[in-house]
Amino acid sequence: MIEFKLNGAIVSTDDAPDTPLLWVVRDTFKLKGSKFGCGAGLCGACTMHIDGAAIRTCLLPISRVAGRDVTTIEGLGTPENLHPLQAAWHELSVPQCGYCQSGQIMSAAALLADNPSPSAADVDTAMAGNICRCGCYGRIKEAILQVSGAALAYDAAAPAQETGA
Amino acid sequence: MSILNVSRRGFLKSSGIVGGGLVVGFSLSGCGRAPLPIEPEAGGFVPNAFLQISPDNSIRFYCPRDEMGQGVTTGLATLIGEELDVDPAAFDVVFAGVHPDYNNPAMMVQNTGGSTSMKAHYLPLRQVGANTRAVLIEAAAIELNLRADQLETDNRYIIANGSRYPYGKFVNTAARLQAPEAAPLKSTDDFRYINHTFPRIDAVAKATGTAEFGIDIDIPGMHHAVVRRSPVTGALIESVDTSAAKAMPGVTDVIKISSGIAVVAQKYWQAKQAAQKLEPVWQEVPLGRMDSASLRHDYEQLMAGEDGVVAADEGDIEAGLEAAHGTLEAQYWTPYLAHAPLEPMNAVLNIADGKAELWSGTQSSQAAQGLVARFSGIDPENITVHNTYMGGAFGRRGFLTHVIEVTEIATAVDKPIQLVWSREDDIRHGVYRPSSLMKIRAGIDAQGNVTTWDAKRVGGNVGVDTLRSMLPGLFPGLGDGTINWMVGMADTTVRGWIADPTSIEGIFEDYDFENVKVTHTTVEHGLPLAFWRAVGHSYTSFAKESMMDELAIAAGVDPVEFRLTNTQNNPRLNNVIRIAGEVMREMQPAQGRYLGFAAHHSFATDVAEIAEVSIDNGKVRVHKVTCVVDCGIAVNPDVVRAQMEGSIMFGLTAALYGNLDLEGGAIRESNFHDYPILRMNEAPAVEVIIVDSGTEPTGVGEPGLPPIAPAVANAVFAATGQRLRSLPLKLQV
Repeated sequence: MIEFKLNGAIVSTDDAPDTPLLWVVRDTFKLKGSKFGCGAGLCGACTMHIDGAAIRTCLLPISRVAGRDVTTIEGLGTPENLHPLQAAWHELSVPQCGYCQSGQIMSAAALLADNPSPSAADVDTAMAGNICRCGCYGRIKEAILQVSGAALAYDAAAPAQETGA
Repeated sequence: MSILNVSRRGFLKSSGIVGGGLVVGFSLSGCGRAPLPIEPEAGGFVPNAFLQISPDNSIRFYCPRDEMGQGVTTGLATLIGEELDVDPAAFDVVFAGVHPDYNNPAMMVQNTGGSTSMKAHYLPLRQVGANTRAVLIEAAAIELNLRADQLETDNRYIIANGSRYPYGKFVNTAARLQAPEAAPLKSTDDFRYINHTFPRIDAVAKATGTAEFGIDIDIPGMHHAVVRRSPVTGALIESVDTSAAKAMPGVTDVIKISSGIAVVAQKYWQAKQAAQKLEPVWQEVPLGRMDSASLRHDYEQLMAGEDGVVAADEGDIEAGLEAAHGTLEAQYWTPYLAHAPLEPMNAVLNIADGKAELWSGTQSSQAAQGLVARFSGIDPENITVHNTYMGGAFGRRGFLTHVIEVTEIATAVDKPIQLVWSREDDIRHGVYRPSSLMKIRAGIDAQGNVTTWDAKRVGGNVGVDTLRSMLPGLFPGLGDGTINWMVGMADTTVRGWIADPTSIEGIFEDYDFENVKVTHTTVEHGLPLAFWRAVGHSYTSFAKESMMDELAIAAGVDPVEFRLTNTQNNPRLNNVIRIAGEVMREMQPAQGRYLGFAAHHSFATDVAEIAEVSIDNGKVRVHKVTCVVDCGIAVNPDVVRAQMEGSIMFGLTAALYGNLDLEGGAIRESNFHDYPILRMNEAPAVEVIIVDSGTEPTGVGEPGLPPIAPAVANAVFAATGQRLRSLPLKLQV
């Protein structure tokens, strides 16, 4: 039995310890916002926060997550209570197919939590691990830069703030 | 329009009265089929197959086309909302089930593709909106004791004497009226939503992880399946020991299916781990003796030979050669490519009590339903198909072997099944953009006119494989023998008589060539082929626009002027080239950066692109792309912009990286480390200029792609003097 924190709640699972966190979150805890894209840590669609850091979870065994604090896209914001990045994603019509966007937003949120005013080059570096097959990169970058500088320390329980741009 | 009298009851009955509400037969074609595919819920008013208006004023739009990221839900909600007077963002949009009313008017089947959706639905869906608004106004007039011409509408409300009444207030009366079939449409000057920019209506769902993709479906009792397939397409199992896989935790079934061996387990990861324990031995097939070099050799031999079908023959190419001041001949290569949508293929199927329910994001719900019918033996009318958002498609999700697989598995093991492909499955067991070898011999006179254009393409035919893939689903009643015969006839025809149009489309049509010949020679080695974003245009543009650049430079003519000279009979493309040329002239690229130009007409849309590149450490880097597009009225200009941006990135991935190699008949590449996709730090800035020619909308999902590879190749020539005639572009160092 492995115990960890998932979007603020303590959860436990008896899935095999080598099961990647992504599949535990999707199949056992039924949170489907984090996506499977490559299974090899190459595309970033499965990105979640573990103790605040953006981590690829399609390879990460849950044995490594015991006692850690995991946040998924569902813990970042909701349609009624958007995180500033999600509001910017809507305002700028960032998504096309949308499949990679949970991972993109989780990477972006971790970047901004770490560096609230990144340069365009900082954004490129931080986001280079997230593939968007539809090619929405220009809008993703614009949305991140639009939000950067705004108050960003997010709290899943607190109401989302308006975008600061 | 009037309250229906008794004599009309016969019509009503045949149209179907369901529940408390009224269902009036109505379809895009105007000839209603009964019964309608949707039923009224909770007193809802269902005037046609596309709308349900509830007493609480919520309005559901049954979207007939499939959303793969191209923005079709936003676009079609805009068309119907414009005339119904409903803010597109206010609709509750659901994907339509399978029914002829939802056929794509451009195809006569329920498919999404070919950049057809806005063009094909522009008038029909507006008409549906207008007719429904008219019947709501008529109902309101009756209830409010006013004349229809005293009423206005404003975003889901009837306005009467300064008061606002929700549409939902009048649904009971409206349900007793017959809607007109040809209510007047708005003039373009009165558009409130069409040609206006507002956010995509699916952006919030897609930014919050709440948009439901096929892979997110989870139903009670669902088991998970993983399939092991032959590394070489088409090889059957010789032998396999399933005992180790069966002994793995959670595994319930290991069975042979037509494409390989399926492992079923309680959870995905269990199925995936167990499938690794299989060590199947596969039969040998001829493709197993091929590798990239031997394959290329076949193309070269056929290019040198005389075989082929004449696909176009206008004027006299020999006379054109004699009239030429100079001639050029060059050969261009483009490789096999996978679509690699980020969401791997998947499907959920539940078979119970002689009925089936399928969840999968596909470009053809109709074909998906037919395939379940064909491989389960259940009648199509007992098969419900739930389409979902697609995590990318680009043509890939018109080819549904995963639906066949899930049907075979669910039928055999008698459990609800979710089948999920891995990325490796996607790259190695998919359907592919065919590779092409193209040769163009062209002549030019002293005035810069092209005097002759003699083009030949060697490659596979997507059209035949599309028939092979789609006929079994679209016509589940046809026997395999009949289908094989039809596909065989098509294959014989395109090999020996009439070229498959998708094989050579775009190789000459854009220019005023008086003397043209296009020859096509088929070569196939057994890899299944598919539409891939822009189809034939994705490679013919590379040959055509590279050759135009080569000719202009050889003749000492400005490449933009050269294209203007040769598009006198094609004013819309000419205009796009002219505007892009003016933009290009104003550009002042920084030191070390060079510009390249290309233009192409596809899917009824004209696009010109300018690529600004530099060479960094022997590698091509694209800094900026400027795109000029004429797609008629832009239904949502920002979605058009997004499609141009996306097509450019997709085409750039192909231009810089895209390549599949064969080794022993198997695809060598397997995942994003060796089949790379452009990343943010490699992505250029894109500027899109929309030329509003005011015509009805034309395609936007694909036309942005064809010009980008040649624009970059032409810029590379400007930068280095190297003429790169193979994709992906690789500089000689």
